[in-house]
Amino acid sequence: MTLDPKNLGPEDRTALIRLVLTLADSKRLMGIRYSDWLLGAPSVETGIATSSMAQDEWGHARLLYAMLKELDVDPEPIEHDRQASEYASVAALDEEAPDWAALVAMMALADAAIATVLGSFAEGAFETARSRVPKMLAEERFHASLAAAWFRRLAASEGEARPLLERAVERMLPGLLAWAGADDESARRLVDAGVIASADERLTVFRDGVRDLLAEIDVDVDAVEPDADWDVERGRTGGQPAEEAVARARGDLNRALFVE
Amino acid sequence: MTVLPLPVVPGLDAGLHPALASHKSGGRDLWSPPLPEAPDDPVAATWDALGEVLDPEIPISLPELGLIYGVEHVRGRVHVRLTFTATACPCMEFIREDVTDRLERESWIRAVEIEEVWSPPWTAERITPEGRAKLRALGVSA
Repeated sequence: MTLDPKNLGPEDRTALIRLVLTLADSKRLMGIRYSDWLLGAPSVETGIATSSMAQDEWGHARLLYAMLKELDVDPEPIEHDRQASEYASVAALDEEAPDWAALVAMMALADAAIATVLGSFAEGAFETARSRVPKMLAEERFHASLAAAWFRRLAASEGEARPLLERAVERMLPGLLAWAGADDESARRLVDAGVIASADERLTVFRDGVRDLLAEIDVDVDAVEPDADWDVERGRTGGQPAEEAVARARGDLNRALFVE
Repeated sequence: MTVLPLPVVPGLDAGLHPALASHKSGGRDLWSPPLPEAPDDPVAATWDALGEVLDPEIPISLPELGLIYGVEHVRGRVHVRLTFTATACPCMEFIREDVTDRLERESWIRAVEIEEVWSPPWTAERITPEGRAKLRALGVSA
């Protein structure tokens, strides 16, 4: 089944726009969070990997924002003019990772949650997602591999790294479960239209993907409840990304350099 | 304020593999002159022209790198289906411009349309045997 955006009713169209925005904004913020650690990673090699992942995330964001054109939405003001309160990015990325362990948690969990929803989008009825998203997922495989290696390394450490990792996971996991398993009216419309899999299926895929990793720090992902603080308008849990990060996402400092 | 000239480094390319010597963007210094008349097979001629456009980062052509997914020619209008090695390839604009400039040299091409495609996703498997041989000669595994 292929969905023609021209045949979408206004509510389904709004739901699809919200999904694209939550994914695109999350990718953009994920890139910023990787970029925060380009020069602070524990090794030169990891810093280079972080730089590459930031680049990937912004490439994915570019392709996702461009999907809005097919829904008659101009991506230009969406990318460069919105306020932080309008961003639909996943809450786990709102603030800079305060330590390397927190970045590893973002890498292992937030990036995985985004990949889970993208994976569902890639197999749905929206042809543009079916053709563009598989390349993103192919690039994400490397992120997941690096994330798992670092997660296991920190989980096995005997110093302060493991407690930092545990605290980061505790902070972000409920919100990520709520985001990956979004089940409000907007999400259900997309499920009914065949654009994404059901909330249960998405949650199962996400939980399956992170279960073994989380077990390394004695967290049972099946016992963690999704955050109940849900913002229906933006398709995310409460709060908003840091103003400084959004200024970077918008390109405020580069505004004079914008060219057609 | 005095502006000093940039230093000139004589023999910058000395000792490099010939394929690594400096090329103009897209291999422009290697491009053939335009065909004197319209070819019998414009699609094949378009592929030949694209075969002269080098990737900006490694000196093999776009078809050898497997980035050209298709070429159509309808009454002087050429449609090129182009992908990139990565979603955040920093050379996208260079590549688009090089493709357009090379094809627009030909008098039998009135317009160039480039369609950015991502399916199937590019992988190193798409590099042609010729491209692989050139990369190996440069010490690049593929």
